[in-house]
Amino acid sequence: MAAELITAVIVDDHAAIAAGVRYWCEQADPPIRLLDAGDRLAGVWTGEGADADVVIFDLELVPGKPDFGELRRLVDSGRRVVVYSQHADNATAIKCIDLGALAYLTKREGPEHLVPAVRVAAQGRGYTAPSLSGALAADDTPDRPRLSPREAEVLRAWFASSSKELVAAKLHITAKTVDTYIARVRVKYANVGRAASTKSELITRALDDGVITLAELNETTP
Amino acid sequence: MSDDETRAQLQRGLRIATLILAVLTVDVLGLINLVRGLDSHDFPAAQFAAFAALTAVLVTEAVLVVRRRPWRTGRRLAIAVVLAASALSYLTLPDGKTSTTVDWLFGAANWAGAVVLLDRPFRTFLAFLMTHELLALANLVVFHEVNRPALVRFSTGSVTVLGLPLLMAVVAAVLGGIAAEAARAARELEQARTAEAAAAAAHRRRTQRFTELSDTTVPLLTGLADGSLAPSDPVVQRRCAIEAARMRRLFAETDTVANPLLHELRHCAEIADRKGVEVELDARGHWPTPPVAVRRDLTDAALTALATAGSWARVTVVGSSDSVSVSVVADCAEHAVPSPATPDVRIEIFGNGGTVWMEAQWQRS
Repeated sequence: MAAELITAVIVDDHAAIAAGVRYWCEQADPPIRLLDAGDRLAGVWTGEGADADVVIFDLELVPGKPDFGELRRLVDSGRRVVVYSQHADNATAIKCIDLGALAYLTKREGPEHLVPAVRVAAQGRGYTAPSLSGALAADDTPDRPRLSPREAEVLRAWFASSSKELVAAKLHITAKTVDTYIARVRVKYANVGRAASTKSELITRALDDGVITLAELNETTP
Repeated sequence: MSDDETRAQLQRGLRIATLILAVLTVDVLGLINLVRGLDSHDFPAAQFAAFAALTAVLVTEAVLVVRRRPWRTGRRLAIAVVLAASALSYLTLPDGKTSTTVDWLFGAANWAGAVVLLDRPFRTFLAFLMTHELLALANLVVFHEVNRPALVRFSTGSVTVLGLPLLMAVVAAVLGGIAAEAARAARELEQARTAEAAAAAAHRRRTQRFTELSDTTVPLLTGLADGSLAPSDPVVQRRCAIEAARMRRLFAETDTVANPLLHELRHCAEIADRKGVEVELDARGHWPTPPVAVRRDLTDAALTALATAGSWARVTVVGSSDSVSVSVVADCAEHAVPSPATPDVRIEIFGNGGTVWMEAQWQRS
């Protein structure tokens, strides 16, 4: 499935954001095809937008009103969503993940995170940007999954350094192992809370890839 | 003792004194006069009814004094009763007996009014006195023969009838004023003490700040002043940047903010920002506010890295209910970070090809 062209559709009321994302997608190697739906959600549901692999979703089309309902509708109809938000608080980030978004990025996070997020989301995998990593590391809600000390350490280090090479060097592990630890956390989160097809897909893939075993997964539900 | 207590005690003493005077005037002196002049009265029953009415008001006041309660809704009724009793007594007086000992109520009624109106403004009591006085005068003018002896009796009688309760009311007003004055004086004294304590604390803080800077900043400034340190020396420049950040942090420490640690970190970050270093600051989670000494340990590593960063720095804070960690990743030279002054702080430094990562973690003991 090497160089199949990925198509993403962006819903964002700020023209500058859409233009910036378009530029990043064009510059990416291989490039990502971007459709701009503007601030019209209809553009995601109809025409070319309906067939896009990934939806880049601005959570706050109406300022001050994060649209969790629309995110749920997208996820429920099987869409792979990357939430791109100016919201930086933990609760919002974790709620998006709980609803079944594959990635959550704050608008301070640029192409170095958005482009890989779109790529892995297109495969049905989760992407964990440093801001989301920090939110998960600091999560103290009662129904959070149980993380191992090493997983928590990797989350914190990834949030702190924003560089997987640095995390790997500091913790004396490989960059791939860093990814594995982060993927395990995401699987654990996908395994709790509200059911969503994207979340079950995430779990199935992780079990297939051997990132986590079923026994380990069952141990960690709160 | 608080100001309110002092005032309440003064007022209660005055209230009891007034009640005793009223009882003596109405129920002792008044009764004696009433019984002595009983033969002169045409309608003794009406006089006794008036006597009973005044006594009822005084009994009510006695009950209220014992229960330490003020007059509330009953106050208007009590005044009406006193004035009605006065009218009844005056109208049934035998001819030519106004303002004599037979007119027992003339001197007594005002005291019954006084106990009811003692805690009211002075003008209210004055209005009552005048009403009663006019009532007596009207009775004299309308129903009795207005002659010289009657007018003389009325005017000389009025001196004591008005004067004594008035004196009591003046005393009450003056005591009230003194109580308010005392309360104000006590408040002013308290304010002055607070201001003095605040000034002393500010002075102590300044002295302490200076002591804290004297170990690091003062030698640097002295060196620059006497020429032993060259401003062009990169090491000196770095020391200056660190000291500047340290001073900024020191000033930020006394600010009253919701999250002092983040506030101080922002001030440290601003120093780097001004040098054109791109600083990212992100905080996650909630943490208890650490004491100043711990915050200094936590921010010290960050401060050094931020002050010496070349082009970028990432500062992150992750907190939980009993710990908080501050991380800085920046492109700065790796240098020794002073060991933490508090036992619960752990500092780690990790260098990797031009990038330095410092992490300070505080675990609440």
